[in-house]
Amino acid sequence: MKRLLVVDDETEICDFLKMFFEDRGFTVTTANSGQKALDQLDQVKPHVILLDIHMPAMDGLTALREIKKRLPDAKVIMVTAIETRDKIEEAMRLGADNYITKPLSLDYLEKDVQEKVTQLAKSGKMTESV
Amino acid sequence: MAFLLKKRKKFLRKVLLGATLLALGLVLLSVLSILSDHFFPSHSLSKEPFYPVLTMVLLFVLAFKPLEKFYSTLFERYFFRKKNYAHIVLMNLTDELEMVLDLDELANMVVNTFGEVLQLKTAALLVPAGEQEGFEVASAFGWHVSDYRRLRLDWSAPLAALVRTSGPHVLVRNQVIQAFSWQEASRLVYDFDLIRAGWVIPLFAKEELTGLLAFSAQRPDRVFDESDFHFFREFGRRIAKSIRNASRMERLKKLNVELQDSQSQMVQNTKLTAIEQLATGIAHEIHNPLTIISGKAQVLLLQRDKFPIDPRIEDVLKTIVKQTKRAADITRKLLMFSQGSGLSSEKLDIPQVLEDTLALVSYQTSLDGIKITRHVSPELPSFYGNIHELREAFLNLVLNAVQAIGTEGEIQIAAHYDAQDRLIEVRIADTGKGIAEENLDKVFNPFFTTRHNALGLGLFVTKQIVHHYGGAIRVESKPGAGSLFIVRLPLSKQAQEAEMPASLAGTNDAI
Repeated sequence: MKRLLVVDDETEICDFLKMFFEDRGFTVTTANSGQKALDQLDQVKPHVILLDIHMPAMDGLTALREIKKRLPDAKVIMVTAIETRDKIEEAMRLGADNYITKPLSLDYLEKDVQEKVTQLAKSGKMTESV
Repeated sequence: MAFLLKKRKKFLRKVLLGATLLALGLVLLSVLSILSDHFFPSHSLSKEPFYPVLTMVLLFVLAFKPLEKFYSTLFERYFFRKKNYAHIVLMNLTDELEMVLDLDELANMVVNTFGEVLQLKTAALLVPAGEQEGFEVASAFGWHVSDYRRLRLDWSAPLAALVRTSGPHVLVRNQVIQAFSWQEASRLVYDFDLIRAGWVIPLFAKEELTGLLAFSAQRPDRVFDESDFHFFREFGRRIAKSIRNASRMERLKKLNVELQDSQSQMVQNTKLTAIEQLATGIAHEIHNPLTIISGKAQVLLLQRDKFPIDPRIEDVLKTIVKQTKRAADITRKLLMFSQGSGLSSEKLDIPQVLEDTLALVSYQTSLDGIKITRHVSPELPSFYGNIHELREAFLNLVLNAVQAIGTEGEIQIAAHYDAQDRLIEVRIADTGKGIAEENLDKVFNPFFTTRHNALGLGLFVTKQIVHHYGGAIRVESKPGAGSLFIVRLPLSKQAQEAEMPASLAGTNDAI
């Protein structure tokens, strides 16, 4: 089973992404803050994480650091409302695998997520425990 | 020889002066006597014993100075013409120079007059270059420009050191060299040769060394006498003063420019940060709702994989997705304008930059009934620049036009390539209210505005950007008849190389 974790402070965004990816055979967990995402990390062990950069309290970059420490094999796609170059550069430096800007093109996003899953499968990391 | 000449000249001048005064006095006396005899025969002045003495004294007091000056000039010019005439011309020059505050102009006047009048081979005026670096040639007579453009006489060079310690005395190459040991002399010779000097007049304004006047004669055996050296010292003292004033002016000018630059940079920075923050906030707040609208519409649209949906509904959903993307593009553009930092240059298509700019105001203009017409030449070469800067430069001009029009009017945008001057010219004309004549030269000043709710930075920022690319901007306007802004952007070397015809490159390869 492909596991996806969606992290965005806008619950509505989490909702339709969950709907969309569940239709495509993913197990989707949502979190509307960086902290909640970290709390569920060990339990969910996601293969791919969609992580919003701009969130109140703990932002995406802080969460990314922690995620890369605890789940180094998980693929992280940063989601951002705007292309603030410095933030994106910092995210890539911290180990993010890609970034996508809002509003989201679901076609594009699906391709990207599937690609990450394939990469994991090829490197033999698509096990239950990641 | 010169001594005798000088004495004789003085003697002759005194004799002539005395004779003239006496003759003038006698003539005046007789005229006055005749007149008084004729009009007041009863008490004729000619019978008074003190009358002739009084007249002569009066005449002497009144006429002595002007006459002496007149003779002195006459003598210098006609009797001992060559040398003293030269001195007079040069002294007059120093008077003129007091009014000249441009260092280059001053230097040109000094070396050319000095060189021509004294019939020299070369004459060069050296002034301090920067902080403690040495002297550079400000202007030279008898030199080729390329010979002195890069020339430097180091502050630590033996000749410069010698001048600093010896004070305002004229340095004569041959004498100086003889006074030193062989080793020191050879280093001095190098310096004298470098500035092509047989003589060097140090230019001291009080204690401050403001420059050097170095010159050489046509004939190697030319000598100057004591009076010449006196003259050189006096001449040097005077031009040193003028140079000091001019260099102070130059420094002030430079400081002023630096101040303006840093001021405008500050204005630019504050402005950008404020706009950037605002735009980032707005974009963030708008993009999230847009993501939700577009995302949900896409989820619905993708239901068609599972069951058929009404084509009309599919159309509606597609429109929602498309329009949300459009809205996001606008905020993204707004954001791009605000991100001025990290100004990297890239190959730009000016018509595209203009279109991007117009896209931002198209909503406003359609609302206000403003028509936009374009006359953009299809053969514009690429321009190397920063896209954000150029967009901002044009946006300010277009916004200015929109505001000048208010409602109902036309903005004409034209762009063409001037192959002769290798520049791109962009003209933005409006049918707006125009600019009052007294404001024409103020519109590019920071914080100048005729509107109550405006900052007055737009045109200023545009000017700064245009100047940054070595370009120029000007405005033509009449109240009630609209305004025309003309921006001329010269192609950079980079762009010119890129414009080199491929065929030419091809032939090179073939060879």
